[in-house]
Amino acid sequence: MLDRMLNHADLIEMLDDLARKRRLVGPVRRGERFLYEEVTDPRQLDLLFTYCVFGPRSYLFPPVETLFTFESENGAFRAKPMLDARPLALIGVHPCDLHAIALLDHVFGHEHADEHYLTRRRHTFIVGMDCGRPCTEGVFCADMGCHDTESGFDLMLHLLGEKANGHARYGVRFGTPEGRQWVLYGRRSEVPTLDDERAFDRAQREKAAAFSRRIKTPAEELPALLDRSYDSLLWEATARRCYSCGSCNLSCPTCYCFNILDDLSLDGSQGTRRREWDGCQIKSFATVAGPHNFRPKAASRLRHRIYRKAKWIREKTGLPGCVGCARCDRACTAKINSVEIYNQLAEEV
Amino acid sequence: MTPAPVLHANPGGSVYIPSPARVLRVTRLTEMEKLFELAFLDERPLGHDPGQFVQASALGYGECPISICSSPTQRDRFELCIRRVGRVTNQLHQLAPGAVIGIRGPLGHGFDMHEFHGRDVLVVAGGLGLAPLRSLIQYIVDERARFGQFHLLYGARCPSELLFQEDLVRWRQNPDVNLLITVDRPDEQWRGRNGVVTTLFKDLPKLDPANTNVVIVGPPVMFKFVVLEVLARRIPQSSIYCSLERHMKCGIGKCGHCQANHVYVCMDGPVFKYGELKAMREAME
Repeated sequence: MLDRMLNHADLIEMLDDLARKRRLVGPVRRGERFLYEEVTDPRQLDLLFTYCVFGPRSYLFPPVETLFTFESENGAFRAKPMLDARPLALIGVHPCDLHAIALLDHVFGHEHADEHYLTRRRHTFIVGMDCGRPCTEGVFCADMGCHDTESGFDLMLHLLGEKANGHARYGVRFGTPEGRQWVLYGRRSEVPTLDDERAFDRAQREKAAAFSRRIKTPAEELPALLDRSYDSLLWEATARRCYSCGSCNLSCPTCYCFNILDDLSLDGSQGTRRREWDGCQIKSFATVAGPHNFRPKAASRLRHRIYRKAKWIREKTGLPGCVGCARCDRACTAKINSVEIYNQLAEEV
Repeated sequence: MTPAPVLHANPGGSVYIPSPARVLRVTRLTEMEKLFELAFLDERPLGHDPGQFVQASALGYGECPISICSSPTQRDRFELCIRRVGRVTNQLHQLAPGAVIGIRGPLGHGFDMHEFHGRDVLVVAGGLGLAPLRSLIQYIVDERARFGQFHLLYGARCPSELLFQEDLVRWRQNPDVNLLITVDRPDEQWRGRNGVVTTLFKDLPKLDPANTNVVIVGPPVMFKFVVLEVLARRIPQSSIYCSLERHMKCGIGKCGHCQANHVYVCMDGPVFKYGELKAMREAME
């Protein structure tokens, strides 16, 4: 069921209003590609984008982030946390990326809650954009159950009818009271007609048919498949091509591993502690003092990533660790393909 | 706003900010290791279980995980044994009494002492593995009446690498502690046993499998051989404990660095039962 209808021009007017109160981040066309970027004018957004090269995670969990600053004081130190409470609006987030954000919410909100992430998150308004069809070749979001979502957005837009940006007409679903309030107070939306509801139902049916299944093993059976595959030769065979470059980690919307590093002023009186994205495919990731590396081989690192994505995160959080966006597969310099890995493992047992 | 994550921590604060602790005393243990006695500036006790760790900061240089090596029975101060191996630990080694460092913790899960009370205990330590075990050993010595027989086996590479030599003398003189020491490479002065730590097992009295807890901490290579000796003495796997080493960055189950198969060593450990480790191939490989 739809809550309201909005046409494109009215949506842009409302985003204009929103931009006065919040930083606006959404898909922007850059040549052949789309990237999530901050814009000052919502007309710079292309809401009919296919997919963004990276997910929106960098706006919630930046690649480099100062955790706190410190200064020396009478032989001791005083530290001040850096928390980013600037209001943000993420516009045009596909269901797969909403699932990815839900995972980040869980990880950073669970036990030892991480205020750096959560402060940003609490001040973020999300306008979802449903995808009526696979955004590009190679995606396996439907296999992971992530091509659709009922939550994780303040409101969700469903493109119905006209395709050109200027004439697009969107069905709107509310996800939160804030989303509902924003649309209703915008005074530009309309009550859906019976025709709108029919168009929405038709679009939903067409969507269900449009997403193919590429992985032979259902997502909930992948943990069991991997349980049987720890000693498979496939890890070594696939890793022969792997450069351990970390492109898969970098492009993944659910990767949240990080390193923590310090900076110090020249006179040593003050400094910062920051965190930076890190990736399990980087060779030094599991190194301890000694130096001893607990995952010295590319094969063990590759296996670790796949286990995390399809098994451990799911078992630990109940949420998908991989949303099937296939960004890792597209980013891979060696054309390593996760779907292929799952299907080859399935052949072995 | 979008369904916000459930929050129960520290709004306005940061879990990453360490608390200032003053260095009270620094003791050189070996060429590589120093013992730091510390107390929080606000005088609160650390309040740890044996086997837990802290993140120790030299602000401006970084932070690293260090196991706590003093007994929880000592409440006004705590001790860390720090091996000089990298940027942070090198900087910490420069510090003299009076200096202030940052401490986050205690972190992780240590030994559940309720599982040890009333039982015989065999502790097997290799090299730096004695450091995380010292809090357990001191606790046992301090609360001796709560335990049955207590055997402590300790192996180091050479005599000069033996940690906590004053403690070793004290424990050896304590009739309630059965301490056996060996070194792999003896020097001319060494009058004790030599060989790897497993050679000490032949000098142990018969263990009671139903009533003995075994704790093993040392380099990964040692672990398998010690477990073999212990299993051969029919100790149930559920009575064997060990503590794993990983380079935790956050220490609170987020950064991913310490993950060994499905577990986060910082949150699920560092203390594990042998039964749990069997499912963690990376723990011992």
